[in-house]
Amino acid sequence: MTTPGPTAARRGARRWLERERVFKWLPFVSVQGLFTFLLLPNVLLLIYLSFLSWRITRGAWWNAAFAGLDTFRGALEDERFRWAVARTFGFAAAAVPLELLLGFGLALLCRRHFRGRRFYTTVFLLPMMIVPAVVGYDLSMLLIDQGPFNQLLSLLAGRTITVRWLSDYTAAQIAVIGADVWQWTALTFLIFTSGMAGLPEEPIRAARVMGASRWQIFWHVELPLLKPVIAIAVVLRSMEALKIFDYPMLLTQGGPGNATETVAVYLWRVGWEFARVSDAAAMSLILLVVVAMYTFVALRVLRRERRRLAEESVA
Amino acid sequence: MRRRRLFSLVRHVLLLVWTAVTLFPIYWMLITSFKHSGEWVTWPPRWFPHEPTLINYVKVLTPGTSTFELGRQTLKILKPLWDSLIISTVGALVAVALGSALAYSWARFGTGGRNYPYNILSIRMVPPIVIAVPFVVYFATLRLLDTYTGLILVYVATCLPYVIWMMLAFIDEVPVELERAARLMGASRLRVLRSVVLPLTASGLVVTFLFVFILNWSELLLALTLTNTEVSTIPIQLNKFQSANEGRDYGPQAAIGAIATLPVVVLGFLIQKHLLRGFSFGLLRK
Repeated sequence: MTTPGPTAARRGARRWLERERVFKWLPFVSVQGLFTFLLLPNVLLLIYLSFLSWRITRGAWWNAAFAGLDTFRGALEDERFRWAVARTFGFAAAAVPLELLLGFGLALLCRRHFRGRRFYTTVFLLPMMIVPAVVGYDLSMLLIDQGPFNQLLSLLAGRTITVRWLSDYTAAQIAVIGADVWQWTALTFLIFTSGMAGLPEEPIRAARVMGASRWQIFWHVELPLLKPVIAIAVVLRSMEALKIFDYPMLLTQGGPGNATETVAVYLWRVGWEFARVSDAAAMSLILLVVVAMYTFVALRVLRRERRRLAEESVA
Repeated sequence: MRRRRLFSLVRHVLLLVWTAVTLFPIYWMLITSFKHSGEWVTWPPRWFPHEPTLINYVKVLTPGTSTFELGRQTLKILKPLWDSLIISTVGALVAVALGSALAYSWARFGTGGRNYPYNILSIRMVPPIVIAVPFVVYFATLRLLDTYTGLILVYVATCLPYVIWMMLAFIDEVPVELERAARLMGASRLRVLRSVVLPLTASGLVVTFLFVFILNWSELLLALTLTNTEVSTIPIQLNKFQSANEGRDYGPQAAIGAIATLPVVVLGFLIQKHLLRGFSFGLLRK
């Protein structure tokens, strides 16, 4: 006799999960479902909005007039938008290589055991555990004209230095890039440290038996083995760097002038501060195309590395 | 021998330089959070408060909501702290559960095709600002704006790519033979998951959870877009205070920064050993 109770229901659910088809496909279907639910209507809406001339201040969006391609023309002719895109790529191009080099160098130095290693690794990981908004705000405090950072610089230089970090055009840009480097070198350090810890021992031992020097082993054995790890670090960091938003918002509010206005900050302003929603949508679409091109290239590189890895592992 | 000692010395010097670079902003934040308002901005800046105080912490941690008083905002964060905690934790838990299930089914059965992890990663590449505008309209119609559920759903989606890529590496380490043997001995699929796969990937699950928790805990742009008055997170509050007081309320803001940092640092410290091995994304030859 079976009474339909909680245990029976649980057994039923378990049996359902055990079925091969369900077990294989349930995660896939739920993830696809979530992405479809969140992204599909949004992308459609984005495209639709970009053809309107809707401003939040002027009634509901379904009443807005069609503007056709005018919004796109406006977006492409908007110099501030073009500069914001270029600036964002520029920031990423400055910050990401620095992060990779610093992270790699530090990981290399901390590779083998020595006294104090645990202390250094603990400290080096700290920045990635801090909220970026906090980092931006914290730096805005350090970098005031009469702040501790200028004091330190003066101390090191032996004369009074007053860099106007937050109101000078170039200095503010350096500050934003510096914030990104300070925070995310922790992540590249982490990626490279775990990469180096996972290096296989046989090829390295074999090279040593054959009389290779330390430098030769590093250059001809270890570095090629680490190449895929380097590739993913580049991909992950560059795609995050193109989204830079928090640091300019909290450090400089995009200023002085437009010195630190990244594309995310500018689109934020167009959409919410200037309430030109349709313009923001058109610019978003253009940005999406630009990012998609970049993504395409980046993922191809990554895929090639991973495939080569699979082939080597079989061989 | 002498060369080795020289190398060791140079290494310590270089590492100490970066240690100083890393600790300086953190130190300044901590020290400011213990300063009275008179010591926030001085020349020369004070590297140690003359009269350390807890007033900043008391101020921000008193119950109530932030209000304007005489044109200044009082900063109170108990509610946003709670909201942040719930949203980040639930979001990270769901993302880890869903993402590792997907990583497992891709690694074992290839669901979604050979390129599926790359397709997922490309979703992460979409800058959130791109979909911010339609998102508000969409979530407003669904009544998900300004709710826990809405933000959690979004965070799960943004974390999934990271979860899948990190968990793929850990699942790679589980020997398939072991799973097959267990199946042959009559264990059910769920039993294999629980008794073979779960113990072997436990440290990976913890590391992944911490990482995506940090991502959620720090996220600003989407939170700013999708919340209004009911729900608020720590990064939103910081952003608000920064613009409301022109960022001049240094002490309380530093206290908020310290409070927002502490739990993550403690968690990270506890699992540091696993953290240092868990970030190679399975991209090394075995």
